[in-house]
Amino acid sequence: MSEPMRLRATLQGDVADVRILMRHPMETGTRKDAKGEIVPVHFIQSVTVNHNGKTVLEAQWSQAISRDPFLGLRVKGAKAGDKISVTWTDNKGDKRTDETTVAAPS
Amino acid sequence: MKAIKLAMVFAPVVVAVGCASFPDADETRSSAEQMVKEAFPGMPETLTRRAMQDPAQRTCSIVGDAKLSPEQAAQVVQTSQASFKYPASGKLAGDWKAGAKLAADGAGLRIRGGQVEKMKENGGLCVNCHALDPQDVNVGNVGPSLTGYGAQRGSSDAVVKYTYEKIYNAWAYFPCSNMPRLGHNGFLTPEQITHVVAYLVDPQSPVNKK
Amino acid sequence: MTRSVYAGLTAAALFCAAVPLSAQNSADALAIGRQMLAEDNPGELWAQRGERLFAEKRGPKGASLERCDLGLGPGKVAGAFAQLPRYFADTDKVQDLESRLMTCMVELQGFKREDIIRNRFGTPDRDSDMEALVSYVGSKSNRMQMDMPLAHAKEREFYKSGEYLFFRRSGPLDFSCATCHTEDGKRVRLQDLPNMMDPKQMQMVVSTGWPAYRGTQASVRTMQHRLYDCNWQMRQADLGFASDTSVALTSYLNGRAKGGVIQLPGVRR
Repeated sequence: MSEPMRLRATLQGDVADVRILMRHPMETGTRKDAKGEIVPVHFIQSVTVNHNGKTVLEAQWSQAISRDPFLGLRVKGAKAGDKISVTWTDNKGDKRTDETTVAAPS
Repeated sequence: MKAIKLAMVFAPVVVAVGCASFPDADETRSSAEQMVKEAFPGMPETLTRRAMQDPAQRTCSIVGDAKLSPEQAAQVVQTSQASFKYPASGKLAGDWKAGAKLAADGAGLRIRGGQVEKMKENGGLCVNCHALDPQDVNVGNVGPSLTGYGAQRGSSDAVVKYTYEKIYNAWAYFPCSNMPRLGHNGFLTPEQITHVVAYLVDPQSPVNKK
Repeated sequence: MTRSVYAGLTAAALFCAAVPLSAQNSADALAIGRQMLAEDNPGELWAQRGERLFAEKRGPKGASLERCDLGLGPGKVAGAFAQLPRYFADTDKVQDLESRLMTCMVELQGFKREDIIRNRFGTPDRDSDMEALVSYVGSKSNRMQMDMPLAHAKEREFYKSGEYLFFRRSGPLDFSCATCHTEDGKRVRLQDLPNMMDPKQMQMVVSTGWPAYRGTQASVRTMQHRLYDCNWQMRQADLGFASDTSVALTSYLNGRAKGGVIQLPGVRR
């Protein structure tokens, strides 16, 4: 089971500042383990971010993205309490969706 | 007068029962040395004995702002001078190219999982702390810059001998300096030290080029 | 599609903005990098996992750590890190966070000490529960000040022993901690060395330093690992996890960091 993402969405005016941390090994397929054997390629291939159910970002990733990746974006026209959900799918077919609500500025 | 006497009588009692008193130096030493003995569980004695101090290391473990006394310094200098060993060939300046490799090599004798790293020879560790080749920016500054060492001092027999001895056992010249006693501790062989000497003094060495 | 292009452009714009600054000097450029990492620190993922592990019923005894006394009473996590290491009457020992968590995992959950020690440092193939738990507990002292107690005689013994050990030279390189950490502006190669005689630098090391996500190791590491690694570089045998030596050194460092404002986990190279 994969680790939940760490999501933060904070309102700045009518823009939500969305920050996403994902726990993923993002194996490049070139790294060798302690025994000297190649660790199979394993990386997040696609990321989708939805704002109240409407897709606002779609990304195709490669193994060039770092381990434990960070993604930041700004969503226009957001209000406090709006739902932001993030889904990633990796090359092994593992999938994870997490959701947060947009917080008013503190 | 009476008050002073009373204070003197009471002072030790206050220290003994005082709730914020720290252990004294002897108590601290015996407590900490016991901790060192137990610091490496499961490790063989051949490795844990590295943590045991020789007399000079003990003298040079100066806590906080304490200072080395002139007598202690003289003692360290004397035993360190007596430690010098020279290569069988008697030649104290070797091959500067071999010395350049040693100077840049920071490995040797490290222990992971109870295993000592396997190396043909230990590195000299020099650039970890000293600037040497002026073209090399990836150098430390814990020790002084040695760029231009030979260009400034020449390569006379006296300079070569001093340089060899300084690397062999730095404490013979600077008691308790940060510099490891690379020859005395057996980290580098006498032959390896002659190569590092050459790297420092040879006019052809990058250390002495602009 | 257009949105993802926009996101890419934003990233490029950020990168360009950093370029003129990097020309000033390397320390400034590094500070910018650190700032960006601190805001979105992967170490937060360890703290999040640690929070879950803390509350989960685990181990042979099927218990959570919610009865674990980290010094402020059973289950009280907030502020505990700020006052560690400290003396614990039940074990009659001075313990740092790692050592105390190990006690709780053994006593409350029934885990084996040897297994905890074997898994003390995470690898790319296996996360360490200890590193996650330390990240969580550390982060629950955020915005508080380091305030290690010295009321108990054993706490003072450990602090003074730690000081002694900090200056104690040994090994084939004659090193002590003090060799590298008692002057300003020193480096081994290009790696900056904090001057631990300066309370401000000491506070940085402790209150925002460890546990930290290490980019080079793709994992959170704790103070126990930092000490283990220094000890390795000094050519000593493997330093025992939660050994008295490691706890005494931590007492000395944490004691000297008094007043440092905690912000954990940190981010390091």
